[in-house]
Amino acid sequence: MRLDGVGRRYGVRGPWVLREVRLDVPAGALLRIEGANGSGKSTLLRLLAGIDRPSTGRITGRPRSAYVPERFPGALPFTAAGYLTHLARIRGLRGPEAGRRATEWLERFGAAGHARTPMAELSKGTSQKVAVAQALLAEPALLVLDEAWTGLDHGAREVLDRAVAERVADGGTVVFVDHDPRRLAGAADAHYRVDDGRLLPRDTHLPTADPGTATGPRVTIEAEGPPGSAPPAGTDQALAGAPPLPAVTRSAPGPDGTTLLTVPAAHSDAVLRALLTARPPWHIRAVTTAPGADGADGPADTGAHDTAEHPTAAPTPTPAPAPDEAPLP
Amino acid sequence: MNALLRYQTALLIGSHRALPPVILYAAWLAIGVQGGGPLLSTFGYAAGALVPVAAWLTRICVTNEPPAARSCVASAAGPGRAHLAAVLTAAGTALVLALPGVLLVTLLSDPRSNDHRVAVPVLPAAVAGLLTALTCLLMGIAIGALSSWPVLRSAAWGVPASLTAALLLLVLGASPVNAALSGMITGSARGTVHTPWLPLAATLLLAAAATAAACALTSRRS
Repeated sequence: MRLDGVGRRYGVRGPWVLREVRLDVPAGALLRIEGANGSGKSTLLRLLAGIDRPSTGRITGRPRSAYVPERFPGALPFTAAGYLTHLARIRGLRGPEAGRRATEWLERFGAAGHARTPMAELSKGTSQKVAVAQALLAEPALLVLDEAWTGLDHGAREVLDRAVAERVADGGTVVFVDHDPRRLAGAADAHYRVDDGRLLPRDTHLPTADPGTATGPRVTIEAEGPPGSAPPAGTDQALAGAPPLPAVTRSAPGPDGTTLLTVPAAHSDAVLRALLTARPPWHIRAVTTAPGADGADGPADTGAHDTAEHPTAAPTPTPAPAPDEAPLP
Repeated sequence: MNALLRYQTALLIGSHRALPPVILYAAWLAIGVQGGGPLLSTFGYAAGALVPVAAWLTRICVTNEPPAARSCVASAAGPGRAHLAAVLTAAGTALVLALPGVLLVTLLSDPRSNDHRVAVPVLPAAVAGLLTALTCLLMGIAIGALSSWPVLRSAAWGVPASLTAALLLLVLGASPVNAALSGMITGSARGTVHTPWLPLAATLLLAAAATAAACALTSRRS
């Protein structure tokens, strides 16, 4: 997908909200967009999601997309499961599969108890879970998240983090805006900043970057491949036959012919799934918290879920919060 | 498109917002359709009310979702298709009102001219009555599509604009709705059936153009 000289203004004489946006959105990438309130981030996301059309310029190669708004007022005459089933059908799922996916995603977000609750009676957080679920239930090739984490409880935020990693591991593209600088820290392939209607690149974490410089909790997976197998690597550099892994994966040779894979914590489930479902499958020796940037102490012999998701447990060298994060007077 | 129509129909039924126009049309029929009235002019009477009723239903259907929910559907299906589904749902609902109206008039009215002297053939008259109803319905859809979101975003402008447009198109001689209705009324005086093929074709084009314009605007305005 590609944006070429894209600009957007509301009304024929309105001021330009976005100008001269040039952006290549590769498949399988996780893009973070930053910017102050009112800088045009949401406008850019609406263009990417296909809701709005640019006033000038062109967007080409836009895949099947899904959009999660920041606020999702549930003033709809459906139950949560009913609404999700309708959206699953609109996204092309047929028959009982639509209802099954709706239930499955409500369960994943811990909202299965609200499946039969009318949308108008849902709490703000549960409404937001429904908003996130409608976007995820048909595996979109492009997922656009406009502060989708806002209003979710801690558990649901982690589920969303992992769902994002899954989409990226499956070759989908995810573009997100969030005011928490630790959100998916170290997992994003590229950062952009919207400033006064212009899109500027911001310290990019390319796959070649030193893993030590990336922020955020990381996990090391010690895996043993079948004899003669190609070493796994990020999707962009994987050899034929090797399990495709997220582009942010760093791989290094380990002891006894194993491979050590270091990934941002949110990606650990997706990487494990890719390794275990490869043909022939890989063997996982150990999953440990990666030492280094996140300041975690040495390897801990625990399961993937235990090590994967404690972004606040260790002091992380994160940038200062955005100015608009400060409480209003 | 089927899934979108299903969603919009469920939304319309669940929101109960279609009830006022449906009750209005039922009351209009109850007041004006009486046993033994002249068939052709009663068809005209029943059809005329479909212009404002269909316009109202269109406004209801295209504004039935909160903007956030509309954005989610627009991203999934394309904003134009999502809007088209809303307009088609309004047209389908108006058709559900129009068909029993035509049936009721056919069953209750006297198939003769106004002075009850000249007999009117029932089947051709019913076809003419149906086509007149369709002409009025489609004109109402065209008015509704052009007088609500995304063309006129404020209800303060949209509602008076749609009512004025409905009234003008009913009374002004140049409009296809007026041509179809006066065909029924003059035909009723003489006992001759005028089937409004041309007015129907003209309104069909108008409604298609109005809907296409509204759908194309959805992604440009928000």
